[in-house]
Amino acid sequence: MTNTVETASAEDFYGRDTQTSLPGESSMWFFILGDLIIFGVYFISYMYYRGQDQALFLESQQHLSQGIGISNTVVLLTSSLFVALGTEAARHGKRQHAYRLIGFAFVLGLLFPVLKMAEWLPKVNAGLTPGENLFFMYYYLMTGLHLCHLVLGLVILAFVMRDLRVSTAPNIKFIEAGGTYWHMVDLLWLILLALFYLMR
Amino acid sequence: MSTRGQGILLWLTPVAGVFFLIAYVLFPGFSPAMSPTMTPEQVGLFFQENVTAVRGVAILVNLVGAMLVPFFAIIAVQMMRMANSSPVLAYSYIISVGIGMTAFLLADYCWGVAAYRPDRDPQLLSLLNDMAWFFFITPAGLIVVQNLCLALGIYFDARPEPIFPRWVAHFNVVTAVLMIPGAFAIMNKTGPLAWDGSLSFSLRLATFTAYVAVMFFVLLGVTKKQTAEEGAMS
Amino acid sequence: MSDFALGSGAASAPAGRPWYQNKKLDQYICFWSIPIFYNLFGLVFVPLSYMMPPRSPSSDMSEIVAFMQSPNLLIASSILILSLGLSAVGNAMYVSQIKRMSVSPVFIYAFLAGSMTGAIVGCLFPMFCFGLGAFRPGYDPEILAMLYDFGYLSFIGSLGCFCLNWGLLSLAIILDKNTILPKWLGYYTAWQFATELFAATVWAYKTGPFAWDGLMAFWFNMVIYVPWQIIVYVCIFKAIKAQPESELGNAQYEPKALYS
Repeated sequence: MTNTVETASAEDFYGRDTQTSLPGESSMWFFILGDLIIFGVYFISYMYYRGQDQALFLESQQHLSQGIGISNTVVLLTSSLFVALGTEAARHGKRQHAYRLIGFAFVLGLLFPVLKMAEWLPKVNAGLTPGENLFFMYYYLMTGLHLCHLVLGLVILAFVMRDLRVSTAPNIKFIEAGGTYWHMVDLLWLILLALFYLMR
Repeated sequence: MSTRGQGILLWLTPVAGVFFLIAYVLFPGFSPAMSPTMTPEQVGLFFQENVTAVRGVAILVNLVGAMLVPFFAIIAVQMMRMANSSPVLAYSYIISVGIGMTAFLLADYCWGVAAYRPDRDPQLLSLLNDMAWFFFITPAGLIVVQNLCLALGIYFDARPEPIFPRWVAHFNVVTAVLMIPGAFAIMNKTGPLAWDGSLSFSLRLATFTAYVAVMFFVLLGVTKKQTAEEGAMS
Repeated sequence: MSDFALGSGAASAPAGRPWYQNKKLDQYICFWSIPIFYNLFGLVFVPLSYMMPPRSPSSDMSEIVAFMQSPNLLIASSILILSLGLSAVGNAMYVSQIKRMSVSPVFIYAFLAGSMTGAIVGCLFPMFCFGLGAFRPGYDPEILAMLYDFGYLSFIGSLGCFCLNWGLLSLAIILDKNTILPKWLGYYTAWQFATELFAATVWAYKTGPFAWDGLMAFWFNMVIYVPWQIIVYVCIFKAIKAQPESELGNAQYEPKALYS
């Protein structure tokens, strides 16, 4: 090797070419992009209807608990961090370590639905149901849809953890795909936070 | 695989036939068949006068209505044995049977509900009665498609010794065609196409009865042949 | 029959064999019934009866009554009764591809059950609500209005059976090791599941974007659904074509003449 510049290895721990391949599976990216587009259309329509009746939306927004919103955000961001760390560890062959990191992310993720119920149930009891007005329909629909995505994400993370624990050569593409999905869930939440909780 | 259970289920068919015959004879709405031109008041009166009979038949059919399902299921199983390229025709058949059976039972429910409170507003009773007849007519349409699926399956059965004899396919096509007028009962209140008419009612029910009877004997032969071929391990 | 086993993707009607002796003719006939069915329905629902695009839940009573008494609704009901079995065929096409996948037979049986339920609650019953109103002239407007609501709500608000079916199909495709249908289609199908969630709102709203004629609950759902419906059947057609002849149920037999 007469090259004096050291080029980083183009292969990861498992001998895969990392420079040219897309992390995760391409079909997962298709799903993520499409999902973002669908959510995007809902966000835009929300903004449109909000513009039509700002007073109603502003008044309804006051009922939302910013505290729980922020808590959920912290939970998800931290969880995403651990998923990223875990994925990196998995790439370097540190299965045990990756398992623990992703396990921690999973436990954090479990907090989210709990907090969500703590947020929704008092509201529903107080009569603020999805049928109440347009703001609340959007609110419940969007956060509900997000919650479904999150629960699915938890299931995927569980399978990732199982793969790390059980197989000697974990399926890195699957782990990356799962991680990417989780980051998407996180991203969606940030937008929801901004639209529903913060924009006043 | 044991074919004994299949044999038992097949013999449910004549049992179902007896029950259906009893239900048909006892149901006041069929003898004579209620006319679509009855006014709501006449319909109200009908249910008030025939509470026991309607209720009795409704309960009976509620119980035995699904007894013909094994008969259709056996046909579906035999369709799966045919040498067609895929089970798509058998699956179509199964789904059609499910839809038809559900519609039939819903008709039963509507008449049952009508007989439950016969002093209801006659308009509501008339609505329930109409609903019942709509649902009663529906299976005719499903049978058209499901019989054609069976016929196609038989025509395409590439086995050197086909499961069903070829004439069964022709028979299924003919019966399917004979059921077609029944589907148009909704568009006519009088005449042979109306739901009490000779085509939509008499011909349809006669065709269906003949169909089940003939197919029962066909299936007896088919299942016997299957048992002989595959051996009846009980 | 090695003469015909030309490898996967080979046409099952190689040169010399006419179309009516194609080994996969049963599948093709069933397949082509689908565009017939959908076009028939398109005609019945739109120009014939003006049922679609959905009329407003907050229409005037007089408009509702006039619509519900249109005799075209009776024609629509009759056509539906006759062709409802074709919905069974259309659904059977999904099932026969699921059968080829490496997933458990549970998917097959559950999908069959979902298809039966969906046809009644989501197709037949709503159509009857409209037909019943048109069948007999003297009904109280309140009754017609109830039938109108029941018809549209059950037609557009039918959720669970389709959640089940599209969820099953989506999961089956994603898990399938035989790659009968492309993986991205599995994810695309997952969005059809989501459209059922979006449609849930129609049960709570009479106006606005979430009513049964609303921008989000109906129109946006159509944007997600219609291309998918076309694409999924194109993919199924390709899957039928690509199926190696050796896999067929009639692989070992010579194709018979249709009429002997």
